[in-house]
Amino acid sequence: MGAGWLECVSDWMSFAIDRIPELWFRTGQHLVLTGVSTGLAIAIGLPLGILASTNKWLRATVLGAIGIFQTVPSLAMLAILLALVGKIGVVPAIIALTIYALLPIVRNTVTGIEGVPHEVVEAARGIGMTHGQQLRMVQLPLAMPVMIAGIRTAAVVGVGIATLSAFIGAGGLGQFINRGLALSNTQLILLGAIPAALLAVLVDGVIAATAWGMQPVRQTDKHSMGARLKPVALAMPLLLVALGVYAAFESRSPAASHTGQTVRIGSKNFTEQLILGELMSQMIEAHTDLAVDRRFNLGGTMFCHEALTAGEIDLYAEYTGTGLVTILKRPVESDADSVFNIVRTEYKKQFNLEWLEPFGFNNTYALTVRKSDSREKGWQTISDLASSSETLRAGFTAEFSERADGYPGVRNAYGFSFAEVRDLEPSLMYQAVVKGEVDVICAFTTDGRIAAFDLQPLTDDRHVFPPYFAAPVIRLGYLRAHPEVREVLARLAGVLDEKTMQRLNFQVDEHGRRPSDVAREFLSEEGLLTQTN
Amino acid sequence: MITLNRVSKSFGGGGSHAVRELSLQVKEGESLVLLGSSGCGKTTTLKMINRLIEPTSGTIHVDGRDVTKQDPVVLRRTIGYVFQGIGLFPHYRVIQNVEIVPRLMGWPPNKRRARVREILDLVGLPPDEFSGRFPDELSGGQQQRVGVARALAADPKYLLMDEPFGALDAITRDSLQQELKSLSKRLGKTTVFVTHDIFEALTLADRIAVLHEGRLQQIDTPKKILSDPATSFVRELFEKPAQQLAAFQGGD
Repeated sequence: MGAGWLECVSDWMSFAIDRIPELWFRTGQHLVLTGVSTGLAIAIGLPLGILASTNKWLRATVLGAIGIFQTVPSLAMLAILLALVGKIGVVPAIIALTIYALLPIVRNTVTGIEGVPHEVVEAARGIGMTHGQQLRMVQLPLAMPVMIAGIRTAAVVGVGIATLSAFIGAGGLGQFINRGLALSNTQLILLGAIPAALLAVLVDGVIAATAWGMQPVRQTDKHSMGARLKPVALAMPLLLVALGVYAAFESRSPAASHTGQTVRIGSKNFTEQLILGELMSQMIEAHTDLAVDRRFNLGGTMFCHEALTAGEIDLYAEYTGTGLVTILKRPVESDADSVFNIVRTEYKKQFNLEWLEPFGFNNTYALTVRKSDSREKGWQTISDLASSSETLRAGFTAEFSERADGYPGVRNAYGFSFAEVRDLEPSLMYQAVVKGEVDVICAFTTDGRIAAFDLQPLTDDRHVFPPYFAAPVIRLGYLRAHPEVREVLARLAGVLDEKTMQRLNFQVDEHGRRPSDVAREFLSEEGLLTQTN
Repeated sequence: MITLNRVSKSFGGGGSHAVRELSLQVKEGESLVLLGSSGCGKTTTLKMINRLIEPTSGTIHVDGRDVTKQDPVVLRRTIGYVFQGIGLFPHYRVIQNVEIVPRLMGWPPNKRRARVREILDLVGLPPDEFSGRFPDELSGGQQQRVGVARALAADPKYLLMDEPFGALDAITRDSLQQELKSLSKRLGKTTVFVTHDIFEALTLADRIAVLHEGRLQQIDTPKKILSDPATSFVRELFEKPAQQLAAFQGGD
C-alpha cells in the first residue's frame, strides 16, 4: 500500500520535473493575472468602499450591484466578457478577475470604516479634524486590518478563479488543469492544481506577513524577536514580484520571442481538437517560416468562433455540422457535400472565413450503449431504444443536451425521451456508462474509448445527426497574406479516416501520451514532414 | 467667557427636548460644573459649545463671538475637549496623541515636541517613559491623563470635560480630581465640567449648574446650593449624599 502511494508521488514528481520550464512560465502568467486584477480591484474598490461608507443609500446600491456581479458563474462571466470585449486572452480574463475581487475589497472597506469605534471618530471630530483628516488620520488607519483581510480574500480567491482564465486563452496554471481535463490526465490536472494551491497559500501568507510588518512595534516588546523580524516581513511582497518577474522571463513562449511572422492556431478543449491543432501546427512549422502560437484549449465552439472572427486566432479545426447548426443556426441536413457547400459559402459571406479541405473523417454523434446491453436486448439502431426508453438513464454533454441536432433532435425524430438525462463532462460520461451509472451516452464516432471500453454505437436510422467532417477554418485576410498555409494544410486533406482518428485519440486518452508526440509520430509515419517539391 | 442665551435643543423634529431655554454664563477662569442625572441635557449642552451638536434655537458666544458664525473646525481646535470614553487614537503613540491639535494647527515639529514634553510632565507622565507607548499599554488613569494632556496641548483658553473620570476606580478618580483642581487653578483655564457625581461636582466646581430634564434648576457656588437649594429637585438631589456623609462621620 505505502509503496504504491510513494510510487504515485515519485511518478508525478518526475512528470512535473520534465515540465519545469513551462511550469515556471504558467506560474508567472498566473501571478500576473492575479496581481494585476487584484491591484485594479484595490484601485477601484477602496475609493468605492470609502464612498459607500459615507451614506446608507450608496452603501446598499454599491454592495448590491457588486453582489449581483459576484453571482454570475465564472465561466458564464468569461463568455459574456468575450462577447463584450471581442477578444480572447488576458484582457477579458483580467476584467473578470477584477470584478470578482471587488466584492471582498469593497465590503471589507465599508465594514472596516463602520467598525471604527464611535467615540474615537467623535474625538477626531471634537478636537477639530476636517472630514478628510478624520478619514485619513483615523478611520482608514483603524480600518486597515479589516481592509487588508478583504484584499487577502480577494487575492486568494483570485488565484483560484484565475485557473479558469485558461478557457479563454489567457494562460496561467489553469492551462494544465484544462489540458488535463481534456485529456483525462490526472497528472496534468495536478500539475496545475497543486502549484495553484501552493500559490494561494503563499499569496495569503505574504499579505498576512506584510500586514503584520506594517503594525508598529509596541514599547513593551521592543526587543522581542518579532520586532526584529518586522522589516523582513515588509519585504515579503518583493518576493512575490521577484517570483513573477523571474517566472515570466525564465521561460518565454516560443511565439513571444519569435521576431518573424506568426500564425495563431486555436483549438477547443478536447483530445481530437488538440491533436488536429498539433497536426496543423507541426505541418506549418515544418513547411513554412511561420512561427506557431498555439492558443489551444479554448473553452468550446463559441470561444473558438468568437476568437477567430475577432482576429485573436488565425485558424482552428471546425466540424461542418457544428458550423451549420451551432454557428449558422441552419436546420439539420444529412448530405455531407451539401452541408460543406453551405458552410463554405455562408462563412465566406457572413464572417470572411474560409473552410479548407476536410481531413477526411466524420466525427458525428452516436448514441452509444454498453456492448453487453446491445447483445442482450438486440439494440442496433436508435429506434430499437424506443420500447425501453422510459427506463433508460442518459448521460450527455451539456452541448449535446442543448443543440438542435443533439438530444432535442433525437426526441423529435424518434418520438421518445429518456427517463433521466444528466449533463456530464465528456471524460466522466464514458466512466459513467462503463460503471452502469447511466445507460446511454452521446459518444463521438472517432472516440477511441468506444472500442476500448467495449461500447456499441447505435445506427442513426432516421438521420438526425448531420455530418461532422472536420476541416481547418481560416481567416480570409490571413490566407491572402500567407497563401502558403493553404498548400501546406491541403496535404492533410483526406489523410484521416474514422479508424485512424480513433487510434490517435486513443493514444492520448488511454495511453496518456502527449498530443504533440502522437501528432509527430503520425506525420512522420505518413511521410508528411518531408519536403515534396 | 462663554455665554448661553436661551439655548434649546430638540431631537427628532421637535418631539423631545434635550435642553430647554438654557441661559448661563461661564466666567473667565472659572470652573463650572454641569450636574445632573443621565438624560438631563448636560452632555448635549457641552457639545453645543464647540458645535459637535448644533442648537435648535438660542445663541452661544465664546469670547464674545457667536459660535455659529465660526468655522467649526477652527473653533474646536481652540477649545480643549476631554471625552467621556477618553477617545484616544489607538493607532497613535502617546506623543502623537498629545501633539495632534498643535499638528492640525500647523506648529513646527520642534515646538510640538517641546510642548509635548512639557505637558506630559504637567499631567504626571514622565515623557521618557511614556511618550513612545500606545494607549493599550497604559492603565485607565494614565490614559485619562493623556486625554487631559491632549486637550491642553495647544494651550487653549477653554476646556470642556465630559465625565472624564467616569470609568475610573474610586482611588484613581480621587487623585486625578485633586490634580486637575490644582492644575486648572494654576493654568487659569475656563473650564466646563460635566458630571453626574455630586462629590466630584463639589470637589471641582467654583460654581455648579444643576440641570433636570433639560432645564436649569439652579446655578451657584457649592456652598450656596447646599445651604439654599432653589427647587425641591435640588434639595432632594443633595439631601441623600449629605445624610450619607453625616451618617458616615457620626459612626466614625
